[in-house]
Amino acid sequence: MDKKKYERPVILKQQSGLMNKFGSATSTQPMTDIEGVPVAELAAAYGSPLFVLSEKKMRDTQQQCQRIFRSRYPKVQFAWSYKTNYMNAVCSIFHSEGSWAEVVSEFEFDRARHLGVRGEHIIFNGPAKSAAALEKAVRAHSKIHIDHFDELYELIEITTSLGLKADVAIRVNVDVGIYPKWDRFGFNYENGEAREALKRIAASKTLRIVGLHMHIGTYIMSTEPFRVAVSKLVALANWLKQQLAIDLDYIDVGGGLPSHNTLKGQYLQADETLPALEQFADAITAPLFELESHGDAMPTLILESGRALVDGAGYLISTVLAVKRLSDGKRAYVIDAGINLLFTSLWYKHKMVPAQPTGVMREQANIYGPLCMNIDCIQEDASVPALKKGDRVVLMNVGAYTMTQWMQFITFRPAIVLITADGSPHVIRKAESLEYVMSLEEIPPSLRSLSA
Amino acid sequence: MERRTFIDAVIFAYAQIFFSNRRWFGVIVLCASFISPVIGIFGLIGALVSTLLAYGLKYNQERIRSGFYGFNGILFGAAAAYFFQITPLVAAVILVFLVIVFFAAAALEHYLATAFNLPGLSLPFILSLCVFIIFSSNFEWMVHAAPPREVELAFQVPEAMRFYFESLGYIIFQPHFISGMIIAAAILAFSRVLFVNSIIAYALNSLLVHVLYPDPTPAFMIQSSFNAMLVSFALGGSLIIVSKKTTLLVALSTVVSLIFTIFFTGIFAAHSLPVLVLPFNVVTLATIYSLKFRQEHSDLVLLYFLPGSPEENYYYHHNRKLRFDRYRLIFPELPFFGEWTVTQGYDGSLTHRGDWRHALDFVITDNNGNEFAGHGTSPADYFCYNTPVAAPMDGEVVRIVDGLPDAPIDTPDLEHNWGNTIVLSHQYELYSSLSHLKAGSILVKKGDTVRKGQVLARCGSSGRSPAPHLHFQFQLSERVGEKTFAFPISQYLQQDKDGFVLRTFEIPEQGARVRNIEIHNGLRKAFEFRPDESYHFVCTSGAATFEESWSVTIDAYNILSITSSRGTTAYLQVRDKIMMFTGIVGNHDNALYHFYLCALSAPLGFIEQLQWTDSYPVSAAISLPVRFFPEFFLVFVNQLSADAEFCMNKVSNGETQFVISSRQRLRGRGLLRFFNETKEGSLVIRQDGEIEALTVRSNSDTFSAVRKHMEHS
Repeated sequence: MDKKKYERPVILKQQSGLMNKFGSATSTQPMTDIEGVPVAELAAAYGSPLFVLSEKKMRDTQQQCQRIFRSRYPKVQFAWSYKTNYMNAVCSIFHSEGSWAEVVSEFEFDRARHLGVRGEHIIFNGPAKSAAALEKAVRAHSKIHIDHFDELYELIEITTSLGLKADVAIRVNVDVGIYPKWDRFGFNYENGEAREALKRIAASKTLRIVGLHMHIGTYIMSTEPFRVAVSKLVALANWLKQQLAIDLDYIDVGGGLPSHNTLKGQYLQADETLPALEQFADAITAPLFELESHGDAMPTLILESGRALVDGAGYLISTVLAVKRLSDGKRAYVIDAGINLLFTSLWYKHKMVPAQPTGVMREQANIYGPLCMNIDCIQEDASVPALKKGDRVVLMNVGAYTMTQWMQFITFRPAIVLITADGSPHVIRKAESLEYVMSLEEIPPSLRSLSA
Repeated sequence: MERRTFIDAVIFAYAQIFFSNRRWFGVIVLCASFISPVIGIFGLIGALVSTLLAYGLKYNQERIRSGFYGFNGILFGAAAAYFFQITPLVAAVILVFLVIVFFAAAALEHYLATAFNLPGLSLPFILSLCVFIIFSSNFEWMVHAAPPREVELAFQVPEAMRFYFESLGYIIFQPHFISGMIIAAAILAFSRVLFVNSIIAYALNSLLVHVLYPDPTPAFMIQSSFNAMLVSFALGGSLIIVSKKTTLLVALSTVVSLIFTIFFTGIFAAHSLPVLVLPFNVVTLATIYSLKFRQEHSDLVLLYFLPGSPEENYYYHHNRKLRFDRYRLIFPELPFFGEWTVTQGYDGSLTHRGDWRHALDFVITDNNGNEFAGHGTSPADYFCYNTPVAAPMDGEVVRIVDGLPDAPIDTPDLEHNWGNTIVLSHQYELYSSLSHLKAGSILVKKGDTVRKGQVLARCGSSGRSPAPHLHFQFQLSERVGEKTFAFPISQYLQQDKDGFVLRTFEIPEQGARVRNIEIHNGLRKAFEFRPDESYHFVCTSGAATFEESWSVTIDAYNILSITSSRGTTAYLQVRDKIMMFTGIVGNHDNALYHFYLCALSAPLGFIEQLQWTDSYPVSAAISLPVRFFPEFFLVFVNQLSADAEFCMNKVSNGETQFVISSRQRLRGRGLLRFFNETKEGSLVIRQDGEIEALTVRSNSDTFSAVRKHMEHS
């Protein structure tokens, strides 16, 4: 018989007399391995903190999404949202599942081209495309989604001077009655700006309208806004058909689908409050059948989902550096992954589970990162079992907007390991070194003696 | 009138006598008809007079060009010169009679065609000749000519062989060994089938004649032989698709032809009239006409298209059967979006039995074949649950059953077998039925008109349904639960280990993972050839470089064709979402022929790694030198095949283009096993639908063509 594990005492507030309406306390199973690879081994081999991605999970999620949308509308195309996670290996996985690339900068555009994505399979979004970037996109026959009139005029100039034609769409800003209302991107639908832009494009000799684009927000928690937004795009598409005799190749409804993370303001767990993906798909696809006279050549529905596809495939292995008690007696942990790696923890309550068996008693605790900054708090009042220094923890649903928004601040950024479909771990981005970080730096000659 | 069409009309008239449609054949027969020059000249005069009359009186140009009006004229002119000594007066009478022949031909052809749907053959000639001979018997200045003198041969030939050739020659009133030789050689070059037939008919006829008459006269031998041979040409390949059974028919008709030759000789002798080709006409017309009344036409198939050589007819017919027999006039597709799996097909092991055996059950599975996520204890766990169900084709909603709840998993509602159901009525009295729908999800009502692909309801699990699935069947009435009717899906994609395989007019089998094909506007533009479009190419064939242009035309019967400036015409059609070539006529050294090879059929939609197969008529893909020898045995067995595999992909060459790669496999069977040739084709189509380039490589050479875009003003 194994020796019983020591469990240090915890102090719990007495809650006698009042029934907890959520039933019995939750217990967390430890996550000892990720896709069959023990967390301890991963941490030992690649260090801690460590991002771990699961290829299987990405593919499964992408296939599930494709299945859900394709069983509701005949032509569906996904475009991988680069900004969500543009690690080459990650992009390659989504491209191999048939996704195009959705980029919002020249940097991302170049990344996509570097990976061998066909120019015309790149959707170029964003409010700030440089003239050089636009020229590149025109030459590559990419689909340029115009954000504002200045960009439209510039694009007409560029294509005219190059003597090339460009396939374009406009980003349409629609009011779907949600808060926060996104207003800064695209041409407004309600005040007629979008129609003016489309007329201007139709009048140009070098631009061809191939689609309409929208993106109503991020982490939308209800299906109705999508239904409203797509209906408005469909109305605009029908107007295009009637007034300008233009048949669209596609309607791009952007992204914004939620992942399994729970927002900080949410009381209940995300999985309990969010509509199912099927419901989002119904809301998005149903209005498309109102498209006029497209007959057998319906426009393609493009989805730029990122978060919903990759968030659940990302894990962050971290190590408890210290167990503290705060001045008010509250338990606190310092772990080696902080807000420098999890920018997303500003709005998500990332689920954190221990990587080894623990006791059953849980206590409220603050989880702090390693930075010497007061804001570096992963989560306040997390309910965690007793941990001790050196214990490993796994932060869940960290695949999206972490590896692209992380900071090289105070310390290095860690390695990223991908567990491939065959269950073997591969480093897809090495841990940073001092040499790497300093490689771009230069010291003016006048200061060199100081460093000697 | 164009000089070229006129010359064609005369030459084709000569070729038609032997059921050929080749210019060179006509020229050879024309030459063979000049061994006795006077007879030859009058034959030619006959052709010229008839053709000129037809032009002058504005008969159908195509018909004139085919030589129909001319060939009766040739026979009459030649026969008149054969039987009578030519004097100016006789010549004048012949000219007058040629006008009669022409009118007889025009009238009889029309009458036989409209009343009996039969060809006119040479009846006009025989009727006119009878009139002519009886007319001439009144006048002494019309003197019978002695039979033309036999051309002396420098060598001895066996009598059987001599009669064979002389009989052939006698068909154009040149009963010479040399004429017959020339004609026989032409027949051999034109069609091995006809050549073999002529030997069979001749041999059998000779045998029979020798059995009946101990010592037959040469005249009777020749008389009966050429009738037997002509019958064998007509029934053994020219008017009926050649098969083993046509050989039996040839043998039988030889006997019948002999009987009628004896019969007519008996009758006509009284009036000193020659029997000539009358037995052939009677036997052929009677046989063809009687065959029309069979209930089934699966063998001894009468020619139902414009004739080529018997070999071409055979290949065309079998290719057509292979490719299009299963085709229907309406185009049902799968009644859903995305990929679904057939859990029970026709003659399924569970419920698709008896009267309901032609039904399909569909579910959605993930890549591992699971139908559900989670525990699978609730209908909502199933991937297909609550997904849209669409109309398989245009129709009207005729029946709706709604309001039945989903049956709990594994507890089918045996009381309401079909569950919530929509029955649609389509063209041609065909109905389709979609069952086990989700209660309350039906978006249409009785009497609504629906379009193909319109969402009707959501997939559910009502009725006798252990788990959510869609039951789909065709039937012949609007009754819910009517017995099923087998009807294919016009086109769908079936997942294969490395892509999708296009299937047309087939029935998905159990276990197949299938989806509809969606039209791509670019590919549609590429393959929907529009009348008056023109295309220009720069072609390289071996060392030669030339320019070629195509023009697209559509005729009164809606038959679309592309004609190349190099003389080839290809026929094609677009049916729903598939373009297919139906035939090609002309030479092969041009871009159009190679385009035909590269895109014998093609879908108007795209998906990565889209594959399909098709077959060419052997004569359109395998060259004559290879076909020549095996075609002697075509009456017994076809030893050649020409199939192709196609695969469509997107390829980046600066800009992304569709590329249809094809592999043509030309193969021999049996004794011809050694013959195995492969060609590799590649057709490049721009995304906006412009056909850009094509290349076909074979072992020996490479053909390539590049589109030359003309500047538009």
